[in-house]
Amino acid sequence: MKIKSLRSKLAISSSLVLVAGLVATGLPSAHADTSTLKPTAAQLAAWKGKTITYYFYHDSQAELDTTNAMITDFQNLTGATVKLDDVPYTTLDQQLQARIAAGNTPDVARLNNPGLYQNVALDLETYFGRTYKSEFLKGSTLQVQDPKTTHLIGLPYDLSVNGPIINVDLFKKAGIAIPTSWNWATLIANAKKAQAAGGTDYAFAMDKSGHRFSTVMSQFGAFMVDKNQKNVLPTSQHRAAKALKLITDLYAADLAPRDLWVGTGTKYSSPVNVFIAGAVPVFFSGNFNLATINANAKFNFAVVPNPKELNGGGWPGGKFLMAFKASKNADLAAYFTNWLAQPAQMERMDKAAFWLPTRNDLVAKGITYSSRQTDMNNYLADAAATPSAAYGIQSVPTLTGSIYNNLRDLMTLVMTKKITADQAIATQISFIDTQLATLKK
Amino acid sequence: MLIKKAGRRGSSVSWSRRLVPYLFVAPNLAIFLTFIIWPAIRGFWISFFDSNDGVHFKYVGNANFKEILHDPTISQVARNTITYVFFYVVLAITISIALALVVNEQKFAKGFFRAILFMPVMLSPVVVGLIWSDIVDRKHGPLNAAIKFLGGGAPGWLVDTNLGMVTVVFVGLWVHVGFYSIILLAGLQGIDRSVLEAASIDGASRMQTIRQIILPLLKPTTLVIIILATIHGFQSFDFIYTLTGGGPLGATTLIVQYIYERAFGVPIRYGLGSAAGVILFLVIFAFTALNFIAGRRRNAV
Repeated sequence: MKIKSLRSKLAISSSLVLVAGLVATGLPSAHADTSTLKPTAAQLAAWKGKTITYYFYHDSQAELDTTNAMITDFQNLTGATVKLDDVPYTTLDQQLQARIAAGNTPDVARLNNPGLYQNVALDLETYFGRTYKSEFLKGSTLQVQDPKTTHLIGLPYDLSVNGPIINVDLFKKAGIAIPTSWNWATLIANAKKAQAAGGTDYAFAMDKSGHRFSTVMSQFGAFMVDKNQKNVLPTSQHRAAKALKLITDLYAADLAPRDLWVGTGTKYSSPVNVFIAGAVPVFFSGNFNLATINANAKFNFAVVPNPKELNGGGWPGGKFLMAFKASKNADLAAYFTNWLAQPAQMERMDKAAFWLPTRNDLVAKGITYSSRQTDMNNYLADAAATPSAAYGIQSVPTLTGSIYNNLRDLMTLVMTKKITADQAIATQISFIDTQLATLKK
Repeated sequence: MLIKKAGRRGSSVSWSRRLVPYLFVAPNLAIFLTFIIWPAIRGFWISFFDSNDGVHFKYVGNANFKEILHDPTISQVARNTITYVFFYVVLAITISIALALVVNEQKFAKGFFRAILFMPVMLSPVVVGLIWSDIVDRKHGPLNAAIKFLGGGAPGWLVDTNLGMVTVVFVGLWVHVGFYSIILLAGLQGIDRSVLEAASIDGASRMQTIRQIILPLLKPTTLVIIILATIHGFQSFDFIYTLTGGGPLGATTLIVQYIYERAFGVPIRYGLGSAAGVILFLVIFAFTALNFIAGRRRNAV
């Protein structure tokens, strides 16, 4: 009887402790829906007057404006203060790594290379349960999982898709209909025609990025790393070289802005301003540039489907939210990431900045954009048509940056005729092998 | 007893008087030690460690130095740096002496010309890089527009590897030459007028006066300029990074950019960056010491 009584006392006490803990921390149960999670009274009391820093970069003014508006709402909701630390994209990782090393880690960051911060990221499943990751697209969550525990250590904030944007006015001037399907030969032929008709500086422009070029490789059926962290470029070496030659020939012939690629050294550069200036009819970029173009272009433009060779579709990318272990207000930081990625906030940002959602519920529901719906539908169709092999490289999130950058630098050597496309791909194969070997150390 | 007291008081006064200069220097010295000497020592120490997050360091002995020396890009970086420093120093000295001589002869609007000369030094290096990247733009830059107008082509100042180096040397000179000229101008004005008048009475031509009187008397100032230009040359980074990013094909990547990219690139490797910094320190130190010794020997002769 005594034992039974003790057991029941222990059970009651444990339950009380657990419930009290849940009430105090606001932790949802493992299967609770966190998509509309609100702070508890205890949290509101604890967070009032607290300050967190949000390390941020923006691709468009719309992103910055919407973020500022969302921060105001979050501050009104929680009584906490969020300091927005807006940095240029080009120094995003340099500055953040230096800040972490100096013990000046921000509380929350918006990132595009989350693999670099695996060791310092906050485990979000501690706060939002084991099933939290199921709210997001599976492909996107691969990049923000702890490699050992597979716990979610960041949130996919937007899905980006690469693809061509055309200057419709120049195409019309050249008598070319807006393409609904095409291959690379047609794209280049049309681009040259539009260039001739409009007397523009260039026919084609692409962001200086190995990530952007990987789209072309994928369309030619060439991939670098598979989901098992294996170098698969040797199996598609010739197709990759063909894709590389296609693009670098355009730059070598001055049909694409060589100065922006070759003349900027190790820096990232985007010809978005060249496109906005009406100096090129075809711009190969991603949906992240749509808001800037929409706000600044003085001509008609359209997002058109990606060219199809062996494959169609684009190339996956995206941005992520991460809270850090070093935060003095870790629960507030974690909640801020959750709140920004809740359906209402994500939809708000998607609509304002032409982002694609990463939440399964929003993907299922679909986003109605206030303008450029056809363009966004094209991106969505390209996202759906993207081959599954394109997601393979996301299995090595700590190496994606260096693999893409090396590919970019090899392209520079090919466009200046220092090496051939075949040599570039052979070098990239060795480089990937070396990089993958570091994972085993 | 009185004498003793006076003596005691006297030594106390003397001690405080001796202390006063040190007290005046102390704040500056504290800043210098904290922000220059201590980081330099720390940098030297870190060069023996490796880290890929800037937080956790592992002792690796001289592995960082070995890695730099075996890096396939280091020979190109060294070649670029030597080429840049050589042309930069030689041209900076020649042009700034010529400019100083010309400005020294100015009778009209002296202050205006000196201000114009000095102005580029006051500009932010980032602004310098941006301005010049527009000026030398291959397709739409005013420089190539002028060349085209004169019947020339459209040189790729930022795309061609040789022209890339020419461009960065030129912009480096544009930034600093005015500053060196002002220092040399001060040196020129320190030359005793009676020596120049004596040369004139002796019938020395203008060129003879410059070669045989002005330049030898300007040697101490020129030595300072050589040392400053050498240091500036080795340290050149900010405007080059904005202008060319070290391109095309690494043709304008100098040692400081190499250090920056090793230390703060992705992933950050402070140990490797520090090792490259130590190498740069030793090279600059050696050059400066050689310059100094050579200058002293010439003066002694």
